[in-house]
Amino acid sequence: MDTNLSHSEKRTLKNFVALYALLSFSILLLISILYLNVERDLMLRKKQVLLEEYAKELIQKLKYVHINLDKTRKYPRSENYKSAIFDSSKNLIFSTLKNRKVNLDDKLYKTENIIHFIKQPSSYYLGSYYVVVEIVDDELWLNGVYKKLFIYAGSLFFIFLIVGYFLSRLFLRPMREAIEMLERFIQDTTHELNTPISTINMNIEMLDSKRLDDRSKTKIERIKIASQTLSHLYDDLSFLLLNHKVISNDEKFDLKELIEQRLNYFEQIANVKKVSLNFICNKEQSIVIDKKKITKLLDNLISNAIKYNKISGDVTVVLDEHAIVIKDTGQGIKKRDLKAVFDRFERFNYAQGGFGIGLHIVNVIAKEYSLNIDIESKENVGTEVVITW
Amino acid sequence: MVKKIFLILLLVNTLEASSFETNCASCHNSFPVEIDKFLYRYILKYSSEKSVKVALTEYFKNPTKEKSVMPEPFILRFGIKKSSDLNNTELKNAIDDYWLMYKIEGTLF
Repeated sequence: MDTNLSHSEKRTLKNFVALYALLSFSILLLISILYLNVERDLMLRKKQVLLEEYAKELIQKLKYVHINLDKTRKYPRSENYKSAIFDSSKNLIFSTLKNRKVNLDDKLYKTENIIHFIKQPSSYYLGSYYVVVEIVDDELWLNGVYKKLFIYAGSLFFIFLIVGYFLSRLFLRPMREAIEMLERFIQDTTHELNTPISTINMNIEMLDSKRLDDRSKTKIERIKIASQTLSHLYDDLSFLLLNHKVISNDEKFDLKELIEQRLNYFEQIANVKKVSLNFICNKEQSIVIDKKKITKLLDNLISNAIKYNKISGDVTVVLDEHAIVIKDTGQGIKKRDLKAVFDRFERFNYAQGGFGIGLHIVNVIAKEYSLNIDIESKENVGTEVVITW
Repeated sequence: MVKKIFLILLLVNTLEASSFETNCASCHNSFPVEIDKFLYRYILKYSSEKSVKVALTEYFKNPTKEKSVMPEPFILRFGIKKSSDLNNTELKNAIDDYWLMYKIEGTLF
């Protein structure tokens, strides 16, 4: 038996892995940012020694200019660094800086590839309360950091993903076991149903209705309907169990004839709920398909239309060119439930019997023959299923 | 009329500008230490225009050895100046002119 739990399992697995990956990625990103900041601070501390030297040199030169202001007013410059001086009110006195945006409250910092070092001299030569030294960072250290991050964070992320995959399988195991148990139960039940259903059907057919009184006839009719329902359920379960092992036998046949035949088949069941079955044939046509499968598809849709209809409701089947429409006047399906109607064992109405496999079978057959199925439903108004090809 | 107003304004400006010339520079010109050197010492100690002007005002109003920015040998030789007789506006104008005349900011190249 095809357990077919992989669909929901895969979906859960995908969601879990995606969430886990996102979380892992976020954690790694955070660690990477922290690591990058630590490395940058380390680099700045190394540069600070050099910058202190440059600042001392600059202050000495500022002192010289201050003492000799009547001889020169040329601001000292160096090939190794750019500089600026600010007074105690943070007003710029003079600057040769490349990046004019200076944060005087910070001592050492990096903006893009520019490093600024701020020193406060003991004497304010030329009014310099703040002396700013600027150097360009070649950012070679950054290449090493990125390389390390790529290797370590990448490896960790990969390990996280593998761990996440195994974790998710571990968490999903109870669900898988429960579904497998349910599948085994259905398989066994189906097997056990075969003989009694066949016996009931055979014996009903063998009964001579002419020899029965009216009360007995009614009782036999009821048994027949119940048996029909059981047969239908048995067929669905068998299809589910054997679908992938049965080779399709495609043939050309008249759709109108088939629909009429199926409507006749459901007439007695419909009568119980006083549901009237209507058929409108706008275009007679043939189709090449496995007759058993298209019958199963139609049976499930018509059966649902009757089952979920109101008392004295209508079921209308319309045959158009390359389309079959099945409309009912039932309770409808909630908008939020529409997406999951084809999911196996999914049921939205527990007032009626069933396993929630009918529409799943419809979907399996439709997929096999590339049929499109559109469902439109309004609560308390009805449902319309359109099959096109 | 316009000519008269212009002349009056020019006269007022000249009178204001001369506050520094009359009350400060006139004496300092005969002094062995040039007047700009005092401002550079103030800048060396107080850095910004605002701080320098506040320090100068306080010193002129109440000059003491502690407030002076000049070195010990200078004070021993020349002593501490007398309190200024200028009123607040005259003193402010004189200090502003002094700053404008000898400030460092904007003169470096």
